Amino acid sequence: MKKTLIAATAMMTIMGSATFAQTIGASIARFDDNFLTVMRNGMVEYADGLDGVELQVEDATDDVAKQLDQINNFIASGVDAIIVNAVDTSATQAMTAAAEAAGIPLVYVNRQPINVDDLPDNQAFVASNEIESGTLAAFEACKMARAEGLAGGASAYILMGQLSNQAAVQRTKDVDDVIGMDMCNFISIIDRQTANWSRDEAQDLMTNWMSSGEPFDIVFANNDEMAIGAIQAMKANGMSMDDVIVVGVDATQDALVAMQAGDLDATVFQDAFGQGEGSVDAALALARGEDVDQKVYIPFQLVTPANLDEYIDRN
Amino acid sequence: MAQQSDGIGGLKYDKSKKAWPNEFNIFIALILIVAIFEALGQILPYMNGQSFLFDTQDRFDTIFNEARLRIIILQVAIIGIISLGVTQVIISGGIDLSSGPLVAATAMIVMSFAQTELVNGNPNPKAVFGPWAFDLPIIVPIIVGLAFGAMIGAINGTFIAFTRIPPFIATLGMFLICRGIAQWWTRGQPVSFPTEAYAWIGSGMMPVIWFILLAILCHVLLRYTVYGKHTYAIGSNEDAARMSGINVKRHKVLVYMIASMLAAFAAIVLSSKNLTAQSGMGLFYELFAIAMAVIGGISLTGGRGSIIGTVLGAMVFGVIQSGFTYVKLDAYFQLMAMGAIIIGAVVLDQWRQQRAASRS
Repeated sequence: MKKTLIAATAMMTIMGSATFAQTIGASIARFDDNFLTVMRNGMVEYADGLDGVELQVEDATDDVAKQLDQINNFIASGVDAIIVNAVDTSATQAMTAAAEAAGIPLVYVNRQPINVDDLPDNQAFVASNEIESGTLAAFEACKMARAEGLAGGASAYILMGQLSNQAAVQRTKDVDDVIGMDMCNFISIIDRQTANWSRDEAQDLMTNWMSSGEPFDIVFANNDEMAIGAIQAMKANGMSMDDVIVVGVDATQDALVAMQAGDLDATVFQDAFGQGEGSVDAALALARGEDVDQKVYIPFQLVTPANLDEYIDRN
Repeated sequence: MAQQSDGIGGLKYDKSKKAWPNEFNIFIALILIVAIFEALGQILPYMNGQSFLFDTQDRFDTIFNEARLRIIILQVAIIGIISLGVTQVIISGGIDLSSGPLVAATAMIVMSFAQTELVNGNPNPKAVFGPWAFDLPIIVPIIVGLAFGAMIGAINGTFIAFTRIPPFIATLGMFLICRGIAQWWTRGQPVSFPTEAYAWIGSGMMPVIWFILLAILCHVLLRYTVYGKHTYAIGSNEDAARMSGINVKRHKVLVYMIASMLAAFAAIVLSSKNLTAQSGMGLFYELFAIAMAVIGGISLTGGRGSIIGTVLGAMVFGVIQSGFTYVKLDAYFQLMAMGAIIIGAVVLDQWRQQRAASRS
């Protein structure tokens, strides 16, 4: 059913029979990213439920140039609004300029464009405030470490996401900021390396770290997949997950299951579905010529074993 | 001045430059790289005199840091399995770019047949099929995976052998098709929570055991069977192979099928090791698999190379990767250093080959 709907939508958009409806073109950085998939599904399902809204979603396959081409193609086929989940957040100037020249509203979703502070009137940014996520997770780890009596000194590893990605840079900086606070400065970082958001790479990296035999108390991961990879590596090495604090970001289902099992200590829920819906809403409002807040923030929420049940079906 | 003697027909040759097997050079390079990291551990002030391969903290029974030895090989075992197939393809004069995405597609499909019904006592939140697909015997996902791999390999091989499009193009197309299949299968959603039996395939050091077993198998295949002789023959001179009565087309299809089945098996091990399948898996695996074979002394023009070389090439990768973490090399420099080492290895090998050629 959903498949035929998507196919039908795509067909109609191709044939340009958009005279009777609002058409939105969306370019998503990657289709194979778990989080972005939940967000994309939020957009598609929300648009499906609205009368007279057609949404065409394209995969930019992590290619900046391709994304700009897709936007220009949307402009050429005369869509009413464009949604962009930027591949590279520093390359958004050209996209803003292209849409502005054509007079078509544009909404950036999830990833903050570099020109976020000087967007034209008919452009907006919908996301969660990235500073919250890393800070929430890191601070929770700090509190847990204190509660476990580690305030005399604790050592930690940081698993970083893709180094070219703003969220990875920001979340890592959040950890640094948190352990710079008086309350948390008992934590020292042994090493920080990238595992490219991937569970497999995190598993190998963690095993490499453990092979040096250096004791550690905390693992900060920029996302849940890497946190799970680290957990799998530690378990394979015979470590008890009670002896180490592991925190991630995203609250994916796999992560919540790991939390149920007592392996993961904290993660942060980013409302992917809500961001998808919010971006469609903002796009439609801008297409109708309404005033929209230029920065729409969907809040992050801390997930711990205490409130785990509320989130189990959300992402 | 090296000692000169008279060769056949009055040609001069230098006895002291008698060629030794190429694999020996790679082995020496491997030891050199280990020695460099070992030295860095002593020189760099923040390392506190830690050792790379040896146990200085008395954590293990032997003199070695066994944990490090294990991870060095464990982290390359899965790409190593792919590399065994890529090696055969390259020896036959071809190339296979589709293996990375094939790993992702196979993992997604296979994992859907390996899911368990209950996770922490709750229904599996990632179920792909209905109840019939829960807790199937382990042989089902394995057969599905190998069959899928064989199919993709047969398609690759058939197009290359019968339509004569270059292998680079055929497998590049398959690269995109497989990534597409991986994403389409569950619309980008990961597939997680396999049965315990399935989780065993890639648990602990199992990936290494599979890698070693398959490496021995492939070595015997290439070295001691008709299949191997034909593979080298086709890679060295396809026309000559055809005229000497080898069914080149059929053999090429077979080589690509074996390569894709190895990649499919790697996908089974990978998804089992990670307890999940994701459409973004296997990123750059095809390139790393080719790079392992290249460092292992394979010739991209075909006809030259060996499984032993490829296994050593994989070891070089493992040592470098662990070494980087060991010396805490800044994450930003790791890719650059890795690229430089790959280029350096090939330049050295070229230089050695030219020297060997000018000698004969």
